[in-house]
Amino acid sequence: MRPPLAGWLSRVLVGWHPRRWRQRYGEEMLDVLDQHHPTARTVASLGASALGAHLDPGWRTDRLSLSRLRRAALMSAVIAAPLALLLAPVGYGAWQDDHWHPAADEGLLSVAFSARTAVMVTAFGQAVDGTDVVWDVSDLGRPRRLSQFEGGQPTALSPDGRTVATVAFSGRTALWDVADPRHPAMIATLSVSDGDLLRGQAFSPDGQILAVAYYDRVFLWDVASPARPRLLRSLDLPVTPTPQALAGASDQVPFSPQDIAFSPGGSILAIATGTDQVTLWNVTDPARAYRLATLASPGDLTQALAFSPRGNLLAVLTSDGTVLVYSVADPARPARTATVRGLLARALYPDGQVLCNGCNPASYAVAFSPDGHTLTVVVDREEMNANSGRDTIFDWHVTSSGTLGGATAAGRDVADSQPFITPGDRAVLGSPSDSHAWHAWALP
Amino acid sequence: MHGKFDDLGRFADPSVLILTSLAGGPKHGYAIMTDVAGFSGVRMEPGTLYGALSRLERRGWVRPLSAGERRRPYEITGAGQEVLAGQVTAMQQIVAVARLRAATGWGA
Repeated sequence: MRPPLAGWLSRVLVGWHPRRWRQRYGEEMLDVLDQHHPTARTVASLGASALGAHLDPGWRTDRLSLSRLRRAALMSAVIAAPLALLLAPVGYGAWQDDHWHPAADEGLLSVAFSARTAVMVTAFGQAVDGTDVVWDVSDLGRPRRLSQFEGGQPTALSPDGRTVATVAFSGRTALWDVADPRHPAMIATLSVSDGDLLRGQAFSPDGQILAVAYYDRVFLWDVASPARPRLLRSLDLPVTPTPQALAGASDQVPFSPQDIAFSPGGSILAIATGTDQVTLWNVTDPARAYRLATLASPGDLTQALAFSPRGNLLAVLTSDGTVLVYSVADPARPARTATVRGLLARALYPDGQVLCNGCNPASYAVAFSPDGHTLTVVVDREEMNANSGRDTIFDWHVTSSGTLGGATAAGRDVADSQPFITPGDRAVLGSPSDSHAWHAWALP
Repeated sequence: MHGKFDDLGRFADPSVLILTSLAGGPKHGYAIMTDVAGFSGVRMEPGTLYGALSRLERRGWVRPLSAGERRRPYEITGAGQEVLAGQVTAMQQIVAVARLRAATGWGA
């Protein structure tokens, strides 16, 4: 701003202070301006001072008149116009935030979903203690951002959609009340096993129990009153290899959102244990939970679990791209009904080229369709040092005995991140390459 | 010498800066601005100065010395000196902790 203009504006703004204020300080301030070299900052400070004095009841004694109102309106416009120009980029940024997650430097990390309330909580990237965003996903094609909070990685939403369990940077589980999804509030933290390797968390279907699985232990919490969680039982998991042996390689056992699952009836808890086992627990009475069975070693790191809607089948996915289906109709004696190997090799580019020789470890999602007739597996592969992620979606027909019929596979440029399959109106969620947003792709 | 701290300086409370300036003796508006710029590097603008001065005067922490003059000096009152002493004590505590932590690293 040119000095003569700033000087003139400054004097005008002194005149725009309330009359009593001018009578007391006006002459002094003009004297200061005579000695000062007014700049844009001077104008801004006098504008703020005039506005503040007008808002101050101590100076507001003048009677209201049309001319004063007109002058106040003119002054507001003069002050607001440059402010609007200054704040426009900020506003644009806020608008962007509504559509693109602000803290995302990587893809979608974690999702908690409530089909009942159509509320979803997301977190991105490696911001483990970062921002969670609460979405209204009653129309997944047009999600609405409702609120955000600093809660850490969301892992599970209670079935009634009122409570979300998150994992804060400390490793502790926190419970957030999202009953009013526009105003999330932290209601409790569960303080055990700090620093241990959290495998996953899941609410029981009736919402009364939260299972928190660490590497070698599972804690069953009574969360009927989420503000007063009560530890019911701690289960020691059989672990191979030992935690000590794994400690040096803990970063190779990533938190995976589907490592733990309650059966739909709530009586069985399935937990990926150690690196290559799945244990089944009877949790009908959580305070007296006991181990039912250990599933035969699938051979590689367990990546994801899912019960069928009737609870009679359990699908297990391992990091080498093998799908195993077990009949758990008698959970004490699970029987493997299907094994499909080599999903990684079958993850294809559209031109049929096999992906890939130098890929990062794959991410997986697995789910049965609501009618239980289809098993869907999403394999996310990403070539090392490249931003070309590719998801392949496999669908199998599931027979009543638990065997799998012929697969259909479809490759899509879906995600460059951990994929998620939403329940209900089934869709795959993920972040496209180089994106700070999540997208949803409807499953057939 | 203060240039590096200009951005930090603007967060300093103008009231404390004005009280500090007047603690050295009565001054009129422009003298306060130059004095504050001299000891703190904060370039206070007239709007900020008189906004703070009016609040300080209303609280009885400063008072004008002679009415009617265009260039009116202000002096700190006894109550203003007490307030300033309280502020200085609080700042000294902050400085002590900051020094300790800067010397021993974060999280000490």
